[in-house]
Amino acid sequence: MLWLCIRLPRLLPEAGIDATGAGCARLERATLERLALWARQWSSQVSYRCASAAADDALLWIETGASQKLLGDARTLQAQIAGALTALRYSGELATAPTPQAALLLTRVPPQRRLVTTLPQLHQQLAALPLRLLALPAETLLQLHGAGLRRIGELLALPPADIARRFGPETTLYLQRLTGAAIEPLPPVPLPACYDSECEFEVAVEDATALLFPLQRLLREFAGYLLARDRAVQSFRLRFRHYRQADSELPVRLSQSCRDATQLLAVTRERLAAYALAAPVRALHLEATRFVAPVVLQNDFFAREAQQAQEFQQLLDRLQARLGAESIQRLQPCADHRPEHAWRSLAIQDAGKARAPLITSVAPRPCWLLDTPQPIDPPGELLCGAERIESGWWDGGDAARDYYLVRAADGARQWVFQNLRNGQWFLHGLWS
Amino acid sequence: MQAASELAHRLPRITLSAATTLPSGLATLDAALPGGGWPQGAVTELLPAVTGIGELSLLMPALAQLTQAGRQVALLAPPCLPYAPALLQQGVDLGQLLWIRASHDAALLWSAEQLLRCPAVGAVLLWPRQIDDRRVRRLQLAAEAGGGCAWLYRPAVADRQSSPAALRLRLHPLADGLRLDIFKARGGLARAVVVHTAAAAAA
Repeated sequence: MLWLCIRLPRLLPEAGIDATGAGCARLERATLERLALWARQWSSQVSYRCASAAADDALLWIETGASQKLLGDARTLQAQIAGALTALRYSGELATAPTPQAALLLTRVPPQRRLVTTLPQLHQQLAALPLRLLALPAETLLQLHGAGLRRIGELLALPPADIARRFGPETTLYLQRLTGAAIEPLPPVPLPACYDSECEFEVAVEDATALLFPLQRLLREFAGYLLARDRAVQSFRLRFRHYRQADSELPVRLSQSCRDATQLLAVTRERLAAYALAAPVRALHLEATRFVAPVVLQNDFFAREAQQAQEFQQLLDRLQARLGAESIQRLQPCADHRPEHAWRSLAIQDAGKARAPLITSVAPRPCWLLDTPQPIDPPGELLCGAERIESGWWDGGDAARDYYLVRAADGARQWVFQNLRNGQWFLHGLWS
Repeated sequence: MQAASELAHRLPRITLSAATTLPSGLATLDAALPGGGWPQGAVTELLPAVTGIGELSLLMPALAQLTQAGRQVALLAPPCLPYAPALLQQGVDLGQLLWIRASHDAALLWSAEQLLRCPAVGAVLLWPRQIDDRRVRRLQLAAEAGGGCAWLYRPAVADRQSSPAALRLRLHPLADGLRLDIFKARGGLARAVVVHTAAAAAA
């Protein structure tokens, strides 16, 4: 077993001076819970402890011994986790040791000595460290100092029975857990089947851009959870909690499953930029209930092509988020004789599923079609025609027309028709 | 001496940017274009005298080729509905074609840049209401990064403004085709050619 301890001295800097209130304790617990789920991406054994009178800092433990084969040695892993923590914009002290208590103790020594991987090494390093680093009550530390002890090694050299008699059995137990003679029970953090996390603000946020920072945190933590569960999402929901007003919601949909924090953020940022906040926000909530298997790019011959295709899907998500889903469409022909019904547009999500019908060949068609036919004066010279189109009597869109190609005075080639029912002329397309 | 080494340093870049072209599918045009086709990884400006003279049909062989090869092509804010049956007739694979509408030029140009930077996108055709040479330069940079073709449609009067586009053409209607007035070609000479597009063949 190898434990990495993250000591978070300033977990809630935004909470202000009054860090002891009940509200703060709740905020801290919620933050730690989110961080614990995030940390599950490296280990199935994660535990946390809130700041208390005994320990003033919030603590997070990650068992990294079992993950080393997969993720690299303890030093690499510690550097990786430190980097990920910085990316979340949390500042913490990290150390690795064979026991949780030793890892915690090592977070208080100079950085170059914060990594110990074996018990003999640990005992050797502990022996030279000053007594005041022990997580014992101040009173006990004073007594030990009074007894002439200065280094941890000197205390560990005493018979355990003597220590228990003079400083209480809890001191012995602590020392046994510190040195690995006794196992420390840590409450595990289970992975919930649905993700539900909330970021609460001390002061209501009025501007959507001010939500980007907490949003980034939420999404990075979310990505950690997805990695831990080996799952991806195709949709999730942001909920904005307001004061004295119902919550508002912003659903986020992706064209392809995703679990990458950067990509999730890119899409959500665009959605948020186009979204008008209903009222000041007191909390931001992220919720995901449906998960899919992640798309893992195989490192094979087709990797580059597959990656390009994935990048393209991500691009479509960003465009849809910015311009609106209905602004980006694919085109398909339809089996209908009336030109205005001979095509349709589809949302890109549906385009793959809908099969294009087989179209029997017709006379050449112009590239541009007008939204609605425009009434025009009878044209002079008719270059090509007539193509008679009579259709639609069954659905009310009755059409009986003769289509012609016409060259306008400015040189434009127009597709015009005469309505056979009333003799009127219309412009319907351009041979662009 | 220093000037010579500086020149040698710049030379590979110049030849490289002229190297990749996409055949236009029109022999007379390919012969007139530097590199023998539409420049890839660059902006081409098309300045039709009016809408509806075959300015889109001019690109159809290239678009058919790109989409059939699995590259994505985007039409950004075209002036009319791109008519699916016509595109099909000219060989475009509609499964690779995107029709994108944007409410204003800023969103349109942003989208164009994003699309151009993506290597899966073979070409972007865009019809902005207005564009200045700073934005054209940004499109040029995006096209260089992604390697696709950027076909920028501008009104005929834009030929009086300078532009960082690699290729600029004025399009004039003829009775049986188009006269292309190539008035700027990076790595080539200004000249005029006459082409017969599919739209003209219909007549």
